[in-house]
Amino acid sequence: MPERRSVITVRGLKKAFGDNKVLTGIDFDLFEGEKVVVLGPSGSGKSTFLRCINRLEEPTAGEICFEDIAIDDKNIQEMRQKIGMVFQHFNLISNLTVMENLTLAPVKLKRMTLDEAERKARGLLKHIGLLAKSDSFPASLSGGQKQRVAIVRALMMEPKVLLFDEPTSALDPESIGDVLSLIHEVVDNGMTTIIVTHEMNFAKEIASRVVFIDGGKIVEEGTPSGFFSHPKTPRVKEFLEKVL
Amino acid sequence: MENFFDKIVELFTTPEYIDSLLHGFLLTIEIAFFAVLIGFLLGLLIALIETGKSKWFAPLRFICRVYVTIIRGTPMALQLFIMFFVIFAIRDFPQIVTAILAFAFNSAAYSSEIIRGGILSVDVGQTEAGLALGLSPLTVFHKIVFPQAIKNIIPSLGNEVITVIKETAIVSMVGMYDLNMAAKDIGSGQNMASYVVPMFVAALFYLAVVYLITFVIKRVEKHMRRSDARA
Repeated sequence: MPERRSVITVRGLKKAFGDNKVLTGIDFDLFEGEKVVVLGPSGSGKSTFLRCINRLEEPTAGEICFEDIAIDDKNIQEMRQKIGMVFQHFNLISNLTVMENLTLAPVKLKRMTLDEAERKARGLLKHIGLLAKSDSFPASLSGGQKQRVAIVRALMMEPKVLLFDEPTSALDPESIGDVLSLIHEVVDNGMTTIIVTHEMNFAKEIASRVVFIDGGKIVEEGTPSGFFSHPKTPRVKEFLEKVL
Repeated sequence: MENFFDKIVELFTTPEYIDSLLHGFLLTIEIAFFAVLIGFLLGLLIALIETGKSKWFAPLRFICRVYVTIIRGTPMALQLFIMFFVIFAIRDFPQIVTAILAFAFNSAAYSSEIIRGGILSVDVGQTEAGLALGLSPLTVFHKIVFPQAIKNIIPSLGNEVITVIKETAIVSMVGMYDLNMAAKDIGSGQNMASYVVPMFVAALFYLAVVYLITFVIKRVEKHMRRSDARA
């Protein structure tokens, strides 16, 4: 077996909001090229787990490393540039046009000149069929269009890892397909990803590993075929019976 | 009635009167303009401290809270007196500076609340999107949060500007020759011997400025709302 390089390492991660203990101790490794799907019931801490990785939530305890370097207050901005994120509610910047949404970060962070960024953005927008919307404001886009723009916005920074936080949960059934096929394509191109989702079929299709979180802990993890056909724990059996 | 129009003509054609009125009007505008400008900047600073997350801000936040509470809880006229007769009771200190600062300090308290509300009204997802891309908190504020907040701030801030312009009329209480004072002076016994006309004209001046500002703010607001949902 070839040696696999760890991209994200999580050790003893705990997160509490006041008295509410959301994460109670998570150890997790993400290796290069992996596509990890995180499943679990609502309120189990899946999203909080994802948001702790790029420190949108400040962990209460534990350590998170990116390529073996601990993420701290000093390097967080630099780390976030390598860890892309796609949100449930898209979070396109509403006062910027689609083009400006794509070019803001790479230009501000001096990754590219404005010209280079715009060229790259046009290429990506053309690819997702939204080049005509370059100068539109996000408010005039449909949910599915917004989420696809949000995905290519994350790609503009050429991240090493992409985190998807329930990327289709706020979409109408018709747009879900478009967004999922774009995610599929990104992942097939070799992007290392963690996806929190409720789309079981998509999870089966895309995952190289499934992680099940409940009560703030990883209850079970394994290959999708093992996880879905032969769950080991009663909690996962119960969950799968309900959702499948 | 004829007398009324005659007096208006007299007011506008007698250099002594019209000069006094314009002089007073200019002072009113000067005080209001600088007070609003300084008040906004100071208010912005207070709002930033109050919405800031850093724990280093805690003592500053407390000071800001106390400041805003005191300013909003006491009469403007009293604040003006305190500035004139206590804090800046310095011989030959320019009166206009004292007046500008009095109104600026007052306006800052109100502006800070308006700006703070505007900042808090911006969806937290907008900030998170910027941070997740690796942008600094300062860039996120400057490029994302503030431009969105200002849209919500502009109408209330317009109100504040109008309030300040009219409120400056109380500088006549400390003997400054503003528009209000000019109207009273012109109308008094040894001059025109009619209060009605100069006060009517002064009211028109105030009204014209307020109307102009309302108009400009409506235009600015419309321009800023162009990114809102209207496919």
